[in-house]
Amino acid sequence: MKLAERMSSYEDMVGPGITACSGCNVELSMRTALQILGPNTIVAVPPGCMGGVQSVGWADKTGMKIPVFFPLLDNTASMLSGIKKYYERIGRDVNVVAFAGDGASVDAGFQALSGAAERGDNIIYICYDNEGYMNTGFQRSSSTSLGSWTSTTPVGDASHGKSSHKKDMPMIMAMHDIAYMATASPAYMPDLIRKIEKAKTIKDGLVYIHIYNSCTTGWGYPSEKSIDIVRKGVKSRFMPIYEVDHGKFKLNVDIKDPIPLMDYLSSMKKYKHLSEQQIEELQKYVDDKWKNLKTLCEVMG
Amino acid sequence: MSKKQVLNGNHAAAIGALLAKPDVVAAYPITPQTPLVEYFSQYVADGVMDSTIVEPESEHSAMSVLTGASLAGARTFTATSSQGLSLMFEPYFRASTMRLPIVMNIVNREMISPQTVWGGPQDSLTVRDAGWLQIYVEDNQEILDMNIQAFKIAEHKDVLLPINICYDGFYLSHMTEGVEVPDQEDVANFIPPYKPTHVKLDPETPMAVDPLTPGDYLQYYRELHMEAMDNAKKVIKEVNDEFAAKFGRDYFGLVEPYKMEDAEYVLVTLGSLTGSARIAVDLAREKGVKVGLVKIRCLRPFPKDEIVELLRDRKAIGVIDRNVSFGWHTGIVYQEIKSATSTLEAVPTIPFVGGLGGEDLTTDLMSEAIEKVLEVADNGSIENKAYWLINTKGR
Repeated sequence: MKLAERMSSYEDMVGPGITACSGCNVELSMRTALQILGPNTIVAVPPGCMGGVQSVGWADKTGMKIPVFFPLLDNTASMLSGIKKYYERIGRDVNVVAFAGDGASVDAGFQALSGAAERGDNIIYICYDNEGYMNTGFQRSSSTSLGSWTSTTPVGDASHGKSSHKKDMPMIMAMHDIAYMATASPAYMPDLIRKIEKAKTIKDGLVYIHIYNSCTTGWGYPSEKSIDIVRKGVKSRFMPIYEVDHGKFKLNVDIKDPIPLMDYLSSMKKYKHLSEQQIEELQKYVDDKWKNLKTLCEVMG
Repeated sequence: MSKKQVLNGNHAAAIGALLAKPDVVAAYPITPQTPLVEYFSQYVADGVMDSTIVEPESEHSAMSVLTGASLAGARTFTATSSQGLSLMFEPYFRASTMRLPIVMNIVNREMISPQTVWGGPQDSLTVRDAGWLQIYVEDNQEILDMNIQAFKIAEHKDVLLPINICYDGFYLSHMTEGVEVPDQEDVANFIPPYKPTHVKLDPETPMAVDPLTPGDYLQYYRELHMEAMDNAKKVIKEVNDEFAAKFGRDYFGLVEPYKMEDAEYVLVTLGSLTGSARIAVDLAREKGVKVGLVKIRCLRPFPKDEIVELLRDRKAIGVIDRNVSFGWHTGIVYQEIKSATSTLEAVPTIPFVGGLGGEDLTTDLMSEAIEKVLEVADNGSIENKAYWLINTKGR
């Protein structure tokens, strides 16, 4: 079946009319992922944008057709481990899934996620990385990139945005030797869809999917540019699209001729103050990470 | 057939829980609870227990794993102490407000600072308002028996609340006593299976758990939660009586009165320190002093009606606290007793504090407490400030 036919055969699991911002590519990513994962799924949406937009529900109304719950900010993976262990115990194959932001994954929830990865618990953990705490007005997370303005790394005479690079979460998860790790982008939908479909078939360990999202209100760009922005992120090698399937590295979107990083950085407000030196540091970071990734794909491919 | 074994408190707890057959167990080791986790791991390794064990990377995750498992419909069990309990406070509070009947032993240990590992219920008493049922026990037999009763109480349809069985670290956790171990089949018949419908994550019956909830709904949930606490009083007594009829050991439900019929003076106790207090009561009785003892077993829900009945028309009362309530300059149980007896005609009530950080509360100290109670009954003067029961001064 062709991709479009396949997708139209999957039902939307998320309620209509949730309150995400216009042009939010996280909502698109969540709908798509849950459409593929289907009705035999339990999903955790921790505090963050997607929890805030009432995908879990409001008062006595649910936001989804499938069982959905708010874990704490910092225990999504452990709660899912408990659910999965019980379903395994009673012999029922259920997709036990997280759809969690970078704050709940890379910061506060990291310990629980690392523990579940080390134990090899068979959960599907999807992190939507929009590089900060966006639903509370864009405070920095450890996934915020160098130089980025945030409300807690403001720009002034004495400060120039975030002073450190983002944590390389996909690589950290890959180094946990989990069953399947992949990065994905809403600008590369066929690749994202394939990866969620693949995640569904993994039964021998933890699946971690890192989606590079963006945020129209926090990052500062027109809502119709949501897909353009993340495509530029990929084409500039800032957001490398790859997977690690049982230890085998594979670059899924090879960017042979990257666009200048400035094309990406200059298309939003959060970087508009960047100095020459910060741009150089970011370029070096991107080049070094790309080189390392290419090497891993060659050596461990 | 039941059999008699020599068991330390952790072993008694592990056997009690083993007999109750939890589906999922997740615990992170911490002194003095560690042997309990080891016993469980060994049971599974030896194939005598078929629970699913998850080895979490922290207490926060231990409680979170069980929250997930319980939401999926599992019977769940864990244990912790002091710093572990404080690390898990976030999911701990939430387990009760999600109405998940998780059974957790708290092997009571002092809270740091200063650095300490020894016994005392400061840990569990500090979280008494987090919505869990809390039962405090006196000896290893009671640990085992209450671990069996705990599942039946917590999972009862009129309760559906998590429960702590609290026992003093080292005094009980590491001390051995003769313990009657009931037969597995008798326990299986005693505890009905757990089949939740009130909160459940199952694709066959989709449900949103904890959507964003406005205050009017939240208040209603809190009202129901408090009603469930009230219901638990009745259920704890019923389960106690049923257990006594079946296994021959009666713990008197919420509070245990000791030599209270004609008592003019009363000591109120909680936990393992009750043992030396009982002896001091016996010694005073030999001298003709009409003193009795009230052992509080259930701290949450607080048995206020029972306390009022037991403490009515006494001459003076002493409350022994192995913990402190900073800001009140007394122990915590003292505050509870004062609240409960506020409807009674004022009786001099002394807040005793001692035995912190694993210090011994000896029979001599308990006798000293009784003397102080008698003195206060005579002169009626009360300072409303901790009277310290101490062997030696650490300064």
